[in-house]
Amino acid sequence: MTLLKCNNLTKTYGNVTALSNINLQIESGHIIGLLGPNGSGKTTLIKLIAGLLSPTSGSIYVQEKPLGTVSKSLISYLPDHSYLNDNWKVQDMIDFFEDFYKDFDSTRAYDMLEKLNINPSHKLKTFSKGTKEKVQLILVMSRRASIYILDEPIAGVDPAARDYILEIILSNYDENATLLISTHLISDIENILDEVIFIQNGTIHTHASVDDLRQKDHKSIDALFREVFKC
Amino acid sequence: MLGKLIKYEQKATYKVLTIINFVIILLTLIGAFILNTNIFNNSESIPLAILLVIFYSLSLIAMGIIIVIYLYIRFYKNLFTAEGYLMHTLPVTPLQLFHSKLIVGYFWTFLNSLLMILSISTLGFVVGYHITKVEQLNFIEFFTENGIQLSEKESFAISFQKIFGYTPEGFVILLLILLIVSCFSSLLMGYLSILLGQLVEKYKLAASVGFYIVIYIVNQVISSFIMILPNLKFMISSIDNTEFFISDFYKNLLPLSIITQLLLGIIFYFMSVLLVQRKVNLD
Repeated sequence: MTLLKCNNLTKTYGNVTALSNINLQIESGHIIGLLGPNGSGKTTLIKLIAGLLSPTSGSIYVQEKPLGTVSKSLISYLPDHSYLNDNWKVQDMIDFFEDFYKDFDSTRAYDMLEKLNINPSHKLKTFSKGTKEKVQLILVMSRRASIYILDEPIAGVDPAARDYILEIILSNYDENATLLISTHLISDIENILDEVIFIQNGTIHTHASVDDLRQKDHKSIDALFREVFKC
Repeated sequence: MLGKLIKYEQKATYKVLTIINFVIILLTLIGAFILNTNIFNNSESIPLAILLVIFYSLSLIAMGIIIVIYLYIRFYKNLFTAEGYLMHTLPVTPLQLFHSKLIVGYFWTFLNSLLMILSISTLGFVVGYHITKVEQLNFIEFFTENGIQLSEKESFAISFQKIFGYTPEGFVILLLILLIVSCFSSLLMGYLSILLGQLVEKYKLAASVGFYIVIYIVNQVISSFIMILPNLKFMISSIDNTEFFISDFYKNLLPLSIITQLLLGIIFYFMSVLLVQRKVNLD
């Protein structure tokens, strides 16, 4: 069964076309990099899949069902900004996630918080931007979801913590699940990717396996990205 | 899932709203204390008394407005700004999200209105109690129909019915029904405006405020028409019987307001339900 399918997906904002006629099929058990320059349509595509935007035309299916409460229970989504109530404590957010998501594992969340020295009894507003991002990532990765969609998960985190964050992502990722990661920081995540989707001006430029691309072009994904999106 | 949403909605809002309602209780207690003293018995205290009454009235109005605006902001912020990314990706239906906000918001606006009425009634009773003490009247008789036997001091209940066309108990019951209905319609008026604002591509918040003003004016115009029209015949026929005219006007006022607010509330509800089920477009 196809995990995620986008058919002729188009999104326009007034006269501006953010995404044009996207056809995409994603299977289970892959780590996919959604790569593209600023304004290429990465976040728009992710928000459409997460159900936060409605497409101008086209359709999206998760496990062959249209978006709805079932797809929301299968997708674990991390936005590219803070989306939690700053006045809440981390432990309140854990209770919240546990209440709404059947697949949420609070023990796993508390373990990761401890490793990153984040006190769960502190309010979110007392944390720095980077720590808030870590908390969000921990919440999202503590679910046993079918699809994890991470929009810029390491952008606001210092380079020293990036490795640990990637470790969090990988250690919590179930082999049957699929991980869709959008980022500019290709070199940091290149080694964990199975597939890449290059997105340019709202269309898919390339969707291929990392091994195939490396064999074909004899270049790293980072180098290939710089070549494709050269200004 | 609705129960869980209500639980977290209550958790996120109860602190601010409890404080506001507590302030109303505090104002009432202070007011009751001041009214029960003799400080207003000399004419020099009248300006102070007027100032205090104005302060009390404005405070009550402000508390009511703050609560409603707080609930509107909460609705907008939680569903249509950064927090909306969390709320709209929960495995719940948009209707469940909407109803959780409506139920919790309704609970607080109703509680607040009830406290305001209780506050005004308490102060009214304190004033009555003070008058009966000074004039050496029977407090219970003063507030009941038997008070008519007190010859020149007409009882509160009889005067009330003459002016307003209701017994005090009837008035309280109708006022409570109006409260139940108008809390529903006024809360929904704000929620509907915010949902209508989401239909606009840019400046959604400004659009919501604009929609609110338009709906408010429409509401006022409809309410005025409905209240004036049935009274027109009395205005023509009983023009020389002022007392009858006024009591009859008031007699119609509450039931007509109840019907108007109920109808508007139902319209606002179904429009909101339709809008909330549309797919979201978060910026």
